[in-house]
Amino acid sequence: MTARPMIAVLEREALKLLRQRGRLLSAMVRPLLWLLVIGAGFKAQTFLVPGVLGMTLLFGAMLAALSTVYDKESGVMRMLVIAPLAHYWIALAKTLGATLAALVQALMLLVLLALLGYVSSQVSLWLLAVGLLGTAFACASLGMLVAAWSRTLENYATMMNLVIFPVFFLSGSLYPVQQLPAVLRLIATLNPYTYGVDLLKHAGLAGPAVAAVPDFEVGLDLVVLIGFSAAALTVAGVRFSRDAATEPLVHRLARKQSD
Amino acid sequence: MNRPALAISAERLTKRYGETLAVAGVDLAIAPGRFFGLLGPNGAGKTSTIHMLSTLIRPTSGAAWVAGSAVSTQQLAVRRAIGVVFQDPALDRTLTVAENLRFAGLLNSLSRAAIRERSAELLELFGLSERRDVPVAALSGGMRRALDIARGVIHRPQVLFLDEPTIGLDVPNRRAIWRHIGRLRSELGITVFLTTHYLEEAIDCDEVAFLSSGRIVRSGSPRALVEQLGTHIIEVETDRRAELAEQLAPRLGEALIDGDCLHFRCHSATADLLSQAELGSKARAVRWRRPNLNDVFLWVTR
Repeated sequence: MTARPMIAVLEREALKLLRQRGRLLSAMVRPLLWLLVIGAGFKAQTFLVPGVLGMTLLFGAMLAALSTVYDKESGVMRMLVIAPLAHYWIALAKTLGATLAALVQALMLLVLLALLGYVSSQVSLWLLAVGLLGTAFACASLGMLVAAWSRTLENYATMMNLVIFPVFFLSGSLYPVQQLPAVLRLIATLNPYTYGVDLLKHAGLAGPAVAAVPDFEVGLDLVVLIGFSAAALTVAGVRFSRDAATEPLVHRLARKQSD
Repeated sequence: MNRPALAISAERLTKRYGETLAVAGVDLAIAPGRFFGLLGPNGAGKTSTIHMLSTLIRPTSGAAWVAGSAVSTQQLAVRRAIGVVFQDPALDRTLTVAENLRFAGLLNSLSRAAIRERSAELLELFGLSERRDVPVAALSGGMRRALDIARGVIHRPQVLFLDEPTIGLDVPNRRAIWRHIGRLRSELGITVFLTTHYLEEAIDCDEVAFLSSGRIVRSGSPRALVEQLGTHIIEVETDRRAELAEQLAPRLGEALIDGDCLHFRCHSATADLLSQAELGSKARAVRWRRPNLNDVFLWVTR
């Protein structure tokens, strides 16, 4: 019953992504800058490959999921709340849409990285696939969790600085978690995104010899990612239903704005 | 008619926001295929009523059924059977006209073939065929409203809710929107429930109800309501309202004070009833005209 509505939401996300060339371009340039400029200071640049791939997933998924904050005051949300769909479904569909947007960007980056010679032929494809999917979904769920509670993220800069950058920097993206000072190590261990990047490290993108060393077991990574996503999505879905049912959402949507 | 056979019914439907009673015990019984207008000034409770009937907000008390389903317990069944056009468009400005209809169609689980066919029909009906591939952001206000109505009926709902469909539009566009609604009714035979505060626009409704402070104060056929009021309204523009109202009351009956005008209801052409001598310098202007729904509302709520 909900296959076609899901297609509607995913298709719209894809259309938006392909039309916003600047968004796609920055999704490619940002990680490459990190890899080539910041990475130039490391002995082995390839250490950063899982980190920048994770960065693309994080930024792509979070920005798409956080756009729900704006959708809450827009025509799209009016179409969604009046459709014959449960309101928690909207949170799920938007999360899957954000996951899709992140995966498209990560796959484009992977192609670029492969062309630049940063991807080894010995990469574990299934671990890479699971890592991409799990990380994208967890980041999208986190974004939806923030979006479900948020009314005050005025713009993308606020989102970047208050949500996305902390999640990125306070993780194992740049350094192995074990080498971090105690406080940072604790925060990184609590950050679900750390486990996504860890899974990508397991995939051995740059080949066994120079690969970044993972900090956790694959099983733990998966349990944390799946558990976090399920919990975040449940809370976001409940919150979303309640926001719609207890009416602040409806009143925002009904308020007459300038055409 | 019993409840399942009605398109819309409501019993003591009530919505309270803290201390404010937005809708205060509204009863409705609207048969399928009817064109119903809920009229009243801004803040009368029209939008709250539409939101309760379309399952978007929960009634504080009372009950309502739309297309045979209860609005508080069978929300999805109600939403499958209705189309809603909000005061602000439910459109994605970044997508094209056709993409918006496709998005709305898929959300209602229509097949691709059905979406194609109905989009073409609706765009033709509303004169938007040539704008199929134009982004919504580039449409004029009138076109956007027309597209929004097309979006609201793409799944062929049994009941269409229109919340102030002509608000913010100029006169030619308002006329166009009424033509579109007329065509939709004759082609699809759907029940239309509309709200408007341009009361005179509701004259073509089968039935209207006047809402004032959350209560229905008068309802019936709009033409009958206007006829009951009288054949003419005499407006006397004056600075001395009380004095003139008292002077004219024995012959013209009770006066209604509207700004610096006195209104009198008459049942025959009464222009000769008021002579220059009688009014002296008290009146700045005297007009007589046919009554409309605005007058009905003013007299009911005086």
